[in-house]
Amino acid sequence: MTKQVIIYSTPTCVYCKMAKEFFQKNNVKYTEHNVAEDDAAREEMVNKSHQLGVPVIDIGGEVHVGFNRAELERSLGLR
Amino acid sequence: MYDLIIIGGGPAGVAAGVYADRKKIRTLLIAESFGGQSLVSADVQNWIGTKSISGLDLAKNLEEHLRAQEEIEILDGDLVMKVEKLEGKSFKVITKNGKFFETKTVLVCSGSHHKKLGIPGEEKLNGKGVVYCSTCDAPLFGGKVVAVVGAGNAGLEAARDLFPYANKIYLLIRSDKVKGDPVTFEEVKINPKVEIIYQAEAREVLGKGFVTGLKYLDKINNQIKELKLDGIFVEIGSAPNSDFVKDLVKIDQWGQIVVDHKTQMSSLPGIWAAGDVSDVLYKQNNISAGDAVKGVLNIYDYLNKNK
Repeated sequence: MTKQVIIYSTPTCVYCKMAKEFFQKNNVKYTEHNVAEDDAAREEMVNKSHQLGVPVIDIGGEVHVGFNRAELERSLGLR
Repeated sequence: MYDLIIIGGGPAGVAAGVYADRKKIRTLLIAESFGGQSLVSADVQNWIGTKSISGLDLAKNLEEHLRAQEEIEILDGDLVMKVEKLEGKSFKVITKNGKFFETKTVLVCSGSHHKKLGIPGEEKLNGKGVVYCSTCDAPLFGGKVVAVVGAGNAGLEAARDLFPYANKIYLLIRSDKVKGDPVTFEEVKINPKVEIIYQAEAREVLGKGFVTGLKYLDKINNQIKELKLDGIFVEIGSAPNSDFVKDLVKIDQWGQIVVDHKTQMSSLPGIWAAGDVSDVLYKQNNISAGDAVKGVLNIYDYLNKNK
């Protein structure tokens, strides 16, 4: 079963870009929310992660703060 | 057994890797990631030969240049935890993932990491208004009141990253002087959102769930003052990543590896260092790259002499 992947990002965040490139490289479909503009998504992100920094990545309910390739690979079952 | 292990994937490590490969030195480069500290810069305008480039593109270019070399071996996504001296003239390099390698020489290009304020409230509110990556998180402070602590280039750039978003930006400077480039400071100074507070020493981050303010010492009047804030951007410089060789080589009071600036060799023959982890006076991408090249050329001579 494929897990639903959501990334909360800002347009200038380099770790967000790296995470998205990582998803694309691994054919992982994701939904992106720009929390610089979308207030509702920002609130959702804060509720999920209890903090304000980006990126926040939700993989099937498992919430990751920041971009850690090894951690995402594990969470997605890529290794 | 390698001839050389390069530790780090910033400008120093990559420059070293390219030169080592061209000298046909049997080399392994170990890097957690590529690009160094400029990775998070929105726009780098002083990387020579390139008018303007984002930190991410600079990192990609560096990685691509390194991977274009034919012979060099690369281990990325891993971190060196310890370098040990073996019998004779060789060394053992141990990584976080439990791998270990033997080598005749080591070039340390591990750079430095973001320094924290080390004051009450900072750790608890990390990510909750306390920010260490301005390009990442500045857009989250639309209409907010924030402070930037530090007036080196990183601090000035953080203030600049906040211009389009924050309503008010306090810039706290510990002394009466600005360490960053005058070009950037001019831009920051004339922005009407910016208020500069000189001789201010951050003392406590205030807030329960999220940041609500900052206590600081006004050194001019010797008074504790308080700012009401939504965010605090910490940009007070960096500390060298030298722990893993600290028992082997001479380290100065700031944690920098002391090197011979003619050769980049440390106090222990067989170990060299270049870039921000060394006691180089100016921490700059171009200097790091150049110093690392110097180190590799000296390592090449050393390996030939010690065949």
